[in-house]
Amino acid sequence: MHPRILARSTAVGLFGVSLTLAGWPAHAQTTPVAPPATAPASSAQEAPPAAQAPAPATAPAPVEPAEPIGEPAAPEPQTPAETPVAPEPLAPTTQSQDAGPSVQPTPSQPVPPSEQQPETLPAAPSTEAGSAPDQPGDAQDAGPAQAPASDAAPADTNARAPQPQRAVGADWPFWGGGAQATRYSPLEQITPENVSQLEKAWTYRTGDMPTEATQNKYSPEGTPLKIGDTLYICSAMNIMTAVDAATGQERWRHDPKVPAEAIPYGATCRGVAYYEIPDAAPDQPCAARVIEATLDARLIAVDARNGQLCQDFGDNGTVDLWTGIGEKVPGWYAVTAPPVIVRGIAVTGAQVKDGQAEDAPSGVIRGFDAVTGELAWAWDLGNPDITGLPPEGETYTRGTPNMWTTATGDEELGLVYLPMGNSSVDYWGGNRSEAENEWSTSVVALDVTTGKPRWRFQTVRQDVWDYDLGSQVSLIDLPREGGTIPALLLPSKQGDLYLLNRETGESLVPMEEIQTPEGGVEEGTYAPTQPASGYHTLRKEDLTEADMWGVTPLDQLFCRIAFRKSAYKGIYTHPTSDQFWIQYPGYNGGSDWGSVAVDPERGIIVANYNDVPNHNRLIPREDIDERGIKPIYEQNEGSEGGSNAEGSGDPQVGAPYGINVNAGWRAPFTGIPCKQPPLGGIRAIDLATGETLWDQPLGTARRNGPFGIPSFLPLTIGTPNNGGSVVTKGGLIFIAAATDNLIRAIDVNTGEVVWSDVLPAGGQANPIVYEQDGREYLVIQAGGHHFMETPVGDYYIAYALPRA
Amino acid sequence: MSSVQARSVTRKRGFGYRAVVALGIVLILFGLPIFGGGAYLILLGGSWYYLFAGAGLLLTAFALFRGSLSAVSIYLLTYLGTVIWAFWEKGFDWWAQVPRLVAPTVILILLIACMPVLSRLSRPRRRR
Repeated sequence: MHPRILARSTAVGLFGVSLTLAGWPAHAQTTPVAPPATAPASSAQEAPPAAQAPAPATAPAPVEPAEPIGEPAAPEPQTPAETPVAPEPLAPTTQSQDAGPSVQPTPSQPVPPSEQQPETLPAAPSTEAGSAPDQPGDAQDAGPAQAPASDAAPADTNARAPQPQRAVGADWPFWGGGAQATRYSPLEQITPENVSQLEKAWTYRTGDMPTEATQNKYSPEGTPLKIGDTLYICSAMNIMTAVDAATGQERWRHDPKVPAEAIPYGATCRGVAYYEIPDAAPDQPCAARVIEATLDARLIAVDARNGQLCQDFGDNGTVDLWTGIGEKVPGWYAVTAPPVIVRGIAVTGAQVKDGQAEDAPSGVIRGFDAVTGELAWAWDLGNPDITGLPPEGETYTRGTPNMWTTATGDEELGLVYLPMGNSSVDYWGGNRSEAENEWSTSVVALDVTTGKPRWRFQTVRQDVWDYDLGSQVSLIDLPREGGTIPALLLPSKQGDLYLLNRETGESLVPMEEIQTPEGGVEEGTYAPTQPASGYHTLRKEDLTEADMWGVTPLDQLFCRIAFRKSAYKGIYTHPTSDQFWIQYPGYNGGSDWGSVAVDPERGIIVANYNDVPNHNRLIPREDIDERGIKPIYEQNEGSEGGSNAEGSGDPQVGAPYGINVNAGWRAPFTGIPCKQPPLGGIRAIDLATGETLWDQPLGTARRNGPFGIPSFLPLTIGTPNNGGSVVTKGGLIFIAAATDNLIRAIDVNTGEVVWSDVLPAGGQANPIVYEQDGREYLVIQAGGHHFMETPVGDYYIAYALPRA
Repeated sequence: MSSVQARSVTRKRGFGYRAVVALGIVLILFGLPIFGGGAYLILLGGSWYYLFAGAGLLLTAFALFRGSLSAVSIYLLTYLGTVIWAFWEKGFDWWAQVPRLVAPTVILILLIACMPVLSRLSRPRRRR
């Protein structure tokens, strides 16, 4: 062969083969230290207001926490429903409303009766539920801690009686599908047999594309709701639109005009919430409303019929979430997740931009009356005495752990499950208050009627790795002798899956303890052990030098040397400053905001995950100053705010070190990951036993390659991924998420990809499935993701089978 | 005699010769850092493979500059060792083999392509 040609093909061979992983999303949030604050008493457990009604049939089953679930999964958690009792309203409500099931279709959009499947959610809150487990017993190793003593008088709240919730099926009424947030659809028109015939039904474009000021900051991550015959959508910059579910035609739009500087680290709006006033007259304005929380920290309610601001909500339809937070620094405090509405209370946290300073906006969780926008309660973990607005001249406790991801509501128990993040300074724990340490990186069950916590379950002690809880929890009713146990499934960034009793927070599965290694700049103060799940983990074996990768032996050698020079003693290797340390899994998971899907009928958990290390180093304060790395409140306007990967040079003001994160640990120059693929996968897990049913790499190499050049290789390699899946009764999993810009269908029984299509932009979003006029639709946003380095777009694309 | 040969070779500025030299330069560019980095990796407690692989590349390169057909056998030895090592370390994990085997195989192909030139260059110059 001609040498020159050979040389050229060499180059192609060398460079064609690999991939560049784009980074993954970095959504870890956190909040910095707070004043010591009155630490929640660790033992007490007083039932919060015992105002609740009759106990549900399902006993709270104390159960040895170490018992694996031995039975097949609950048949249909969607309708646990043995107890459709309407309990007494627990608290005096401001607005009268009877508990009668009144699921109203969006008034203006008449819905054929067949489409309404008001879900009879068991309406009986449990009496007992108020108490946390009284014995730490298992709790101490499990991580769940006691409910804080909050004997404060049951706050007067606007919480109402439980209402029947819309069912998932024809509709996709909640961000996570049904109220249980299982991302399961009972539709079965599309099956593994006919999925190959899927075709584009419509394409809708929001028109929200980056401007010069917002270039490289878009990561919309949007998931629509579908109610009646309408999709409710928010764009990256929070433009809300309503779209015809059958045609993709826009019906109305509301643009809240969010300024560019409000973007924290990415322009993201994961979704909106929908609320119907139970006793509203059908023609009442805003009887059904769409509520979103924005990047510039506003809660906005518009009429679901026409997109007009709800005049009865807050100040002409808007509530300013900056109230009580402190000095307004755009981009520092932003909401990217939809609020969750439980018993008429819209609950929201916020993303506090990571790594800026200990003295950061509070992680306070607030509940607002979904009708009036009035503050119903506030939960300030640093100062439990503040239950409403902070006193004049004060703020909610600064720097406390926040919740940036999506919570899950439990209408029946009157709880909201909050996956909390870490304090704002993620990688230094020395200045954290006791309260921060107690609540950080925990799932917290908050009573929406009072705003008081019932229980918590901590997944990392003294988190110095940015292992925020990023995934929404799913509610599952697990069969046990004599009934079912109300459980929740909690995935973590470390990849652990926990099953907890959602009334008590006790683990329903065996817990394990991981001995943490020695070393780290704060040696001696770290937690000696960390909790882990004995049920299932998505985490892989520790890395070895041989797992280092590259395109050629040379860059592989580079990574092997870096591996040997870094501190690494497995998971929970503590942060170092004199050398790099390897954090594996990195802060993108395991499981991140896309969360997992659960097919309750088959008893299968579907979890996609990242399998990627981060390469980190604490940077001494002087070096941070020398490099001119400034916190967000000292940056000039228009400076590079949210464009970099999270943690790639953050000041951590107030700590002795800043932080530098090489997310995904990519080699310089080539941009190739130092760890060999797969860098992401998807797995099916037996809900009953926690056993892996199948496990496949997720994503092809087609869009990845060295120096950012696509390789066009249609081979499955397993890329980093961001976004969740949907699982259907028809036997399919739909997921995009990977960096290959494909939407695909996977046979839930085998893990085989049975269909895929190329999206016009990155598919870093959770898809939805619904039915309209007898046709099953799959809808995915193709919005791209700056951190995942996928092309940005403003598309929503619907797929369906050809009309018969 | 080898110096005589080398001199005679340098006189041959044909395309084939330039290709051989170019390949030699590529091997030096990879071989030197792999050799040096490999020594460093051993100091750090890591794999010994790279030191040997780097040495193999450098020796191959020198042979190429001399226009010697021995370049092929030196490289074949290096390549064989690479394959054995790669499978010992990662088995049939094909993505893991990409950095281990793809570039070395490409070089093998290039070297084989150079064989006609090399055998011409290394032939003792009798005629003419």
